[in-house]
Amino acid sequence: MSETTSGTERAGTPTGDGAPEGHPDDVLRVRDLSTRFFTEEGQINAVESLDFTVRDGEVFGIVGESGSGKSVAALSLVDLVDSPGRITSGEVWYRDADLADEFRDDVPEAVDGEFVDTRRLPEGVRRALRGPAFSMVFQDPMSSLNPSITVGEQIAEAVEVQRRARANPRRTRSRTQGYGMGRLIVDSLLPNRGYTSESSMNRAIELLEQVGIPDPAERAHEYPHQFSGGMLQRAMIAQALAGEPDVLIADEPTTALDVTIQAQILNLLRDLQEEQDTSVVMITHDLGVIARMCNRVGVMYAGQIVERGTLSDVFDSPVHPYTEGLIGSIPDLDDPAPRLQPIEGNVPSLLDEEMGGRCFFADRCPKAMSDCLQPIPEYDAEPGTDEHAARCVLTEREYDEADALPPDHFDRNEEVRGDE
Amino acid sequence: MKIGPISISPRTIRNLRKEFRSSGLARIGVVLVVVIVLAAAFAPMIAPHNPRTQNLDRAQLPPLGFTDTEQRTSTEMVNGSVQTVTENVTVNATAQHPLGTNSLGQDILSRAIYGARTSLLVGLFGTVLAALLGVTVGLTAGYYRGRIDDALMRTADVSLAFPSLVLAIALIGLFSRFQADVAIAITDPLVTTGVAGSFRDAVGLPTPMPETFVLPTVVILVVGFVNWVWFARIARGEALSVREEEYVKAARALGASDVRIVFRHVLPNSITPILVLATIQVAAIILLESALSFLGFSGTTLSWGFDIAQGRDYLSSSWWIATVPGIAIVLSVIGINLVGDWLRDALDPGIEGEGGM
Amino acid sequence: MGYGRFLLKRGVQGVGVVWGVVTVVFILRFITPGSPIDTVAPLDASQETRQRIAEDLGLDQPLYVQYLDYLWELLQGNMGYSYISSIPASVQVFQKLPATLELAVAASVVAVVISIPLGVISATRRHQPADYAATSFSLLGISTPNFWLGIMLVLVFAVELNVFPTSGRAYGFMQSLAAITGPEPFFTVVTAWLASLFLPAITLGTYFTALITRLVRSGMLDELSEGYVRATRAKGLPETLVRYKHVLRNTLVPVVTVLGLQLGTLIGGAVITEAVFAWPGLGTEIIRAINARDWPILQGSLIVIGTGFVLLNIVVDALYAYLDPRVIAE
Repeated sequence: MSETTSGTERAGTPTGDGAPEGHPDDVLRVRDLSTRFFTEEGQINAVESLDFTVRDGEVFGIVGESGSGKSVAALSLVDLVDSPGRITSGEVWYRDADLADEFRDDVPEAVDGEFVDTRRLPEGVRRALRGPAFSMVFQDPMSSLNPSITVGEQIAEAVEVQRRARANPRRTRSRTQGYGMGRLIVDSLLPNRGYTSESSMNRAIELLEQVGIPDPAERAHEYPHQFSGGMLQRAMIAQALAGEPDVLIADEPTTALDVTIQAQILNLLRDLQEEQDTSVVMITHDLGVIARMCNRVGVMYAGQIVERGTLSDVFDSPVHPYTEGLIGSIPDLDDPAPRLQPIEGNVPSLLDEEMGGRCFFADRCPKAMSDCLQPIPEYDAEPGTDEHAARCVLTEREYDEADALPPDHFDRNEEVRGDE
Repeated sequence: MKIGPISISPRTIRNLRKEFRSSGLARIGVVLVVVIVLAAAFAPMIAPHNPRTQNLDRAQLPPLGFTDTEQRTSTEMVNGSVQTVTENVTVNATAQHPLGTNSLGQDILSRAIYGARTSLLVGLFGTVLAALLGVTVGLTAGYYRGRIDDALMRTADVSLAFPSLVLAIALIGLFSRFQADVAIAITDPLVTTGVAGSFRDAVGLPTPMPETFVLPTVVILVVGFVNWVWFARIARGEALSVREEEYVKAARALGASDVRIVFRHVLPNSITPILVLATIQVAAIILLESALSFLGFSGTTLSWGFDIAQGRDYLSSSWWIATVPGIAIVLSVIGINLVGDWLRDALDPGIEGEGGM
Repeated sequence: MGYGRFLLKRGVQGVGVVWGVVTVVFILRFITPGSPIDTVAPLDASQETRQRIAEDLGLDQPLYVQYLDYLWELLQGNMGYSYISSIPASVQVFQKLPATLELAVAASVVAVVISIPLGVISATRRHQPADYAATSFSLLGISTPNFWLGIMLVLVFAVELNVFPTSGRAYGFMQSLAAITGPEPFFTVVTAWLASLFLPAITLGTYFTALITRLVRSGMLDELSEGYVRATRAKGLPETLVRYKHVLRNTLVPVVTVLGLQLGTLIGGAVITEAVFAWPGLGTEIIRAINARDWPILQGSLIVIGTGFVLLNIVVDALYAYLDPRVIAE
C-alpha cells in the first residue's frame, strides 16, 4: 500500500485482513471507524469511516468545526460512546506486543504482528486498556470531575486502578474488574479501608506537583469547586497521566478556559508529552492550537477526515477547499490586508437521510463540480507518499468552471425536502 | 390557547400530546381519572342502589364469583328439650350486588361510586385552598424578599414540623363539635330535577336516590390548611427567579404596581410547576382524607376510608368489605399520579416528587 | 465555613423552629372551642369548684403570663399533667415514644435496604423487565394508603395464614435486649418481638420504599448523564465504583433533601399504622388525647414530634453537607 502512486484510489480497501500498513512508528491505526446515533429524529452518522494513524511520541491533531464529530471520534477510540450511540464498524489497531502474543492463538483475527484490533478483543480486555493504553482529558474540567470527591482521591483512584491491574491483570479483566459489590461493602463499612491506598494518594500528590499545582499535598484534599478552571484542568491532566498512557487523547482541553490560561495548559501538555514520550491526539477547533502543538494533522468534516498530512502539508499546501477555507478564516496578524473569508453555510446535520452519497462539503464548496456528487474516496495528494491525502477530487484534477455545479443546485434540493 | 392571564403555547400542547402518545402509562392514568370523575359526577344515575339503604337480610353478601360459608346458630326444640344447632350455610353472590354488601346490607359498589364524590371533592377543593394560601404566601415572600420572606418562610418551617396527618386530626378533633353545624349538604341536581329518577326507571334500577350530598367542609378546610407549605415553597422559588428577569425589572421601572407585576408576570410564569404540584396534591389529599375518615374524623359516612374502617371489623368473615374501597383509593391515586407524571414529563417544571400525606 | 459552624447555624435555626412549634401548640389551645375546665370538672361542679380549677390551671391569668409560664415550665421539662390520669404529661409521652421510634426506625431500615438497590437496578437496567417491575411496584407503593395496606397484610398473613400476630406489641427492643440475661428464653422473646414488629414495619415502610426507589431511579438517570461519569470510566475505574462510589453518592444528595421534607409523612404514617395495629405508641396516645380532650398530653406529644422533626432535619442537613461538600461553602 505504501507503494501506491499519486492519484490512485486508496479507500475501499477490504477490511478484516489485519492491520492496515503504515509507518513503522505507528502506535495506533484507525481504519473505517463509524459511529452512529440512533435517535428519535433519525440515524445520525457522527463518525463516518474514519481513517488515521498516530505515531510514537508525536502529537496528532484533529481539527474541525463544532458538530463535525471530533468528540465522538475521541470517545469511539476509548469505547465510551453512550447509548443511543454505537460504533457500527471499523477497526482500532493498537500496538502492544504482549497483548498480541496473548491473543494470537485465541482471537487470531484481532492480531496482526505487534498490533491488536481493540474492537475485536473481549470487553474486559478493552476496558482494561483505559488508563495504561488510552486516557482522556476532557473539554470541561468542572463537569468532568466528581464534585463531591476530593481531587486527590479522584487522581488516586486512577493510580490505584493501574496498581491493582499490574498486581492481578486477570481479575482486572473480569466482569467486576476485580472489585465487586462484596468488596465495596466491606471497604465502605470498615474504618480505614477504601479503594485507594495511601501510596496511591502519595502518587496522586506527586502527579499534582508534576502538573504544576502549588501546595499539592494540601490541594489534594480539596474539592473541585475549590479549584480554578485552569488548576482543575491541570488536575484532569494529572489524572489522565496516572495510568502512564501510551496515547493521551485531549478533547478540546483549553476551550473552557481563559485565553491566558490556555497557553499555560498547552505548554504543560507539550512539556509532559516530550518528557514522557507519550503520543497525544489533540482534538480542537482552534487552528492556533494545532499549529503550536502538532506534528501531523487530520482535518475533520461531517464525521470524516477530509485531509491529512504533516503540519506543513496541510497548512502550507492545502488541497481540500474546506481546509483552505479553515485556514482562510483565521486572521493573519502579519498581513491584515485581505479580508477574512468565512466559510459560507453551516455544518451539515449528519442525519443519515440528509447526507446522501456525495462529498459532504459540496454544498458549501466554492469549487464544487459535478464529480463531487458521488462518494469521494481518499486520494494521495503527493506522489510516492501516503503522508498527505485528501478526500477531494481536486487532488486528481484541476478545477474546471465548465463542470461547476450551478450555485442554486443544493437550494433546489433543500426546497424539495423543506416541506417535511 | 388562553385562560385568563395564562396562555398555553402551542409548543406546550405539542409536548403534552407527544408525551401522551409515547407513554402508555399517561394514557392509563387519563383513562382511570376520566372513569372515576364520570362515576363521581353521574353517581345517582349509575349506582345500582341507594348507598345508604340498609337491608339486614342481605348483609355481608360476597362479590360475584365468590361464595361465603356462614355459621348460623339457631335454637330448636328437639324431643322436648331445647338444643342449639349450628349449621354451615353457603351464601351465594347475587348480580344485584356485584361487589357484595357490607354488614348493614348496603351495596358496596354503590358506596364505592359515591365515595369517589367525597374523595374527588375533598381532593379538588382542598388542593385549591392549599394552592390559594400557599401561592399567595410564596409569591409574597419571593417577591418582597427580606424580612417578609424570612418571617413567612420560618412560619413554613414551623408548619412543616407538624406532620399533616397529625395536625389535621388535632384540628378536626378539636373543632369537631362544630363539624355537624358546618358540614354543607348540597342538593344533588341530577336527583332533584328527576333526571336520575327517570333514567333509573328506564333501565330498571331501584329508586329513590339520596337528594342531598354532604360536603365535609371542616375536612376540606383542614386538609387545605395543612398542605399550603408545598405550594408556598414552589411559588417562592419561582417568584425569586422571575423577579430578576429583565422584563420584570423593566415593568417595575415603568411604574407598574406590585400587584400588577405579580399577576401579569410572576404568576403566569410559575403556573406550570404549580399545576404539576397541584395534580400530585390532589392524590396526596385523597390519601389524607381517606386516612382521616378511617380514623373516624370525617364529616361524612359516604367515604372510602370510613368504609374501610367498617370493614376492618369483619375482616375474618367478609374480607371484601374493606378490600373494595381500598382498591378504589389505589386506582384513583394511581390514575392521578400517572397524570401528574405525564404533566411533569411533558412540561418539565423541574420539581422533585414533593408533598406527601 | 467549616462543618462545625454549619451545624451550629442549623442548630440555632432549629431552636427557633422549636420555639415556633411551642407557640403554635400554645395558641392552638386558645382558638379551640370549649374550656379545659369542662374537661376536668365534674358535670355538676359548682361555680366555686370551677373557679378553683381555673386558678389551679392558671387560666385566670392574662394570656401572656400563661404563655411565659408555659415556656418557663417547658424549659424545666414540665409539660403539665394529664387531665384524665394526672400523670405528668412528659412521663406519659416519653413512655410511649420508644414504641413509635422503634416502628419508625424499623420502617426506615426496611425502606432503605430495599429501595436503594431497587432504584439502582431500575436505573441501570432501564427499559428492561427489572425496571418495569420496580417502576410498577413504586407506583403502586406511593398510591396505596398505608392503613389499608396494613389491613390487607393482616387479612393475608394474620387471618388467613396465621403467621404473624394481628396487632399489639409483644416485646420492645429493650426487653429483647434484657432477655439475654433475663429469665425468659431469649429466642422466644426476640422472635415474638420481631413477629409483632414485622407487619407494622412493612405497612409503614412500603410508601417510603416506593418513594425512595422512584427518587433513586430518576436521580441516578440524571446523574449517569453527567460528564464526570464518562471521565471516571475513561480512567478505567471498575463499574462498581463508578456506580456506587461516584454516581449513587451524588444521587443521594437530592434524595436526602426530599426525605428530610418527607419526615412528617413518616411520623404521620406511624400514627395511622399504630391505629391499625393497636401499637402502643405516640400515635395511639394522640388519638386518645384528642378524643378525651386531654390537652397537656396532646400538647406534649405535638411538641415532642415537632422537636423530633427538627432534630432529624439537622441530622439530614449534616448528611447532606457530608454528601455534597459544596453545601457548606454556600
